[in-house]
Amino acid sequence: MQMKPLLSKTTKPFLTYVLIVLAVSVPTYYFVVDTIWQIELDEHNQLLADKTEFEFNRLKLSEEKLLRSIVLWDEIQPSTAIRKIGLNDSGLDSTYTLDKQKSYSQTVNLDRFRCLSTVILLNGKPYRFIVETNIEEIRETVAVIAVTTIFFFIIIVIGLLMITRKLSLKVWQPFRDILEKLKAFNLNQHTHIEFEKTDVKEFEELNQSLDKLIEHNVSAFKTQKEFTENASHELQTPLAILKSKLDILLQSDGLTENQYNIVEEMNRTLTRSSRINKNLLLLAKIDNGQFDSSETIQFKPILEQYIALLQEHFEHKKLELGTTLLSELSVNGNNSLTEILINNLLMNAIRHTAITGVVSVTLINTRLEIANTGEQALLKQQLFKRFSRQSTDNNGSGLGLAIIAEICKFHQWEVGYKFEDQQHIFYISF
Amino acid sequence: MRVLIIEDEAELADSIIAYLSTENYSCELAATFALAMQKISAFDYDCILLDISLPDGNGLKILEELKYKDKQDGVIIISAKDSIDDRIKGLQIGADDYLVKPFHLSELAARVFSLIRRKKFGSANIIKQGELEIDLPAKSVSINHQQVVLTRKEFDLLLYFVGNRNRVLSKSTLAEHLSGELADMLDNHDFVYAHIKNLKKKLNEAGCGQYLKTVYGTGYKWEG
Repeated sequence: MQMKPLLSKTTKPFLTYVLIVLAVSVPTYYFVVDTIWQIELDEHNQLLADKTEFEFNRLKLSEEKLLRSIVLWDEIQPSTAIRKIGLNDSGLDSTYTLDKQKSYSQTVNLDRFRCLSTVILLNGKPYRFIVETNIEEIRETVAVIAVTTIFFFIIIVIGLLMITRKLSLKVWQPFRDILEKLKAFNLNQHTHIEFEKTDVKEFEELNQSLDKLIEHNVSAFKTQKEFTENASHELQTPLAILKSKLDILLQSDGLTENQYNIVEEMNRTLTRSSRINKNLLLLAKIDNGQFDSSETIQFKPILEQYIALLQEHFEHKKLELGTTLLSELSVNGNNSLTEILINNLLMNAIRHTAITGVVSVTLINTRLEIANTGEQALLKQQLFKRFSRQSTDNNGSGLGLAIIAEICKFHQWEVGYKFEDQQHIFYISF
Repeated sequence: MRVLIIEDEAELADSIIAYLSTENYSCELAATFALAMQKISAFDYDCILLDISLPDGNGLKILEELKYKDKQDGVIIISAKDSIDDRIKGLQIGADDYLVKPFHLSELAARVFSLIRRKKFGSANIIKQGELEIDLPAKSVSINHQQVVLTRKEFDLLLYFVGNRNRVLSKSTLAEHLSGELADMLDNHDFVYAHIKNLKKKLNEAGCGQYLKTVYGTGYKWEG
């Protein structure tokens, strides 16, 4: 889904609403303006009729003079006309709107007129009086209103955008602060988040809720880690008792070979459980930040030392070992953790390479690569997780790679895995 | 030889006593800090096995007391704590060795054996069994006064066998001893065979008696 900033989410419906309201307002304005105009013009026409009737009657003209005056009137007053009442005249008043072509224009040029046709009494005789008053055309009115509306719409949009932008910068500032702090927060780093005080009720509530949530999480996390450490620690003693009892059992007279083998199997299993336990303890200690990271680590000597130490195991599995140690790299970190890291990587390679396979260790610049021949790629997502196994061999603790990942995380080194040319390659960039 | 075991876990202490007593060790137990303090001030021991975490006090205090009184007792710390700092602290105060729980009793016995011999014989620390002579400080072996050249691991194994004479040692125990923490990560413990085979061959060729016996198929026992 495409992500939109909060601002556009609120502005868009707002602007749509304004647009709809203004669009509806155009015909409404037209209707209102037109109606007012018609009413005014009707009134004006009526006034004109009344005035004409009054003025004519005041002159008290003779019949003949009156007729001449009417002819004259019709000529000099083009927008009005006084006619004799025809035979089929109903004698009723009527108002209507009329579109007429301009008489002096060649092109089609319609003018709109508001007309009144009424009966006036001149010298006691009824005449039909017609008055036509020019009224603004529909399209002109609509056009003017529309232009005005669009003008105001643009002003509203610009204003709205400017105001919301400014407001959002100011109003959402505490929110952005909170967001930044939450992004930077790491449960593992034992740092406490200090939220800035704000005078906005909602944000203050958010701060308090987050404070509570984080505090709870931190304490739960701490308890869990302490538990792991304590549990592993407490397990060492019963494991020690079991191990010692097996050693005693082994010394019994009359032990059969079968019984001996059972003891031996138990021994192996016990060793494995204490290994898991030690590894869990190690992970808990790394998590708890109980290691000093200011020691100087020199990779080449450590690698050489561990390769020499494991030499016989390489030979035992008839593995071909190629080493290319070209870098005299030295970085800050923890030596014992680095030794564990290198040991685990090498052991991993020894354990998971088939007999007569090839293992190569490469240290160039700031990158260490340990590769071993293999059949098919491993699942990357699962690889560095605790207790995720991808081999059928159950001798390991299931924590070797998790420890590698954790040690790299501790040192902020990048660790990764790839499968190329039938080789499992584990690499670490320092 | 007097060995004092300062350990609050009764079961573990019992096992240690049972294993060590077959050799000519006389074992005593102190299950509390208070009792341990009493015993160390009243008697001298050849070796003290010291658990650091006691219910009524810190084992390191006992170690400090020993050093303060300038006692010569050898001390092996047996602890569930495995951090380098703990090790360094213990050894700095004056412990002779540090063994992390869980451990094999054979490992403990070998270390007690070495420690007592070192304390007792100093530079004249030579183990004799018939025609076999093992010079511990020089790390050399001779049979009928003829030196036999052993690798470091073979010498280590021989010493381990001698320190656990007349007791059954299983292959996995030997594997753990030889490669420490690595052993359980390995698919098989066959590499132990290679070392033992070589050791046996070298000893036999030099005319050494058949002290090393195979028992139960994959176990070993040094008789003497």
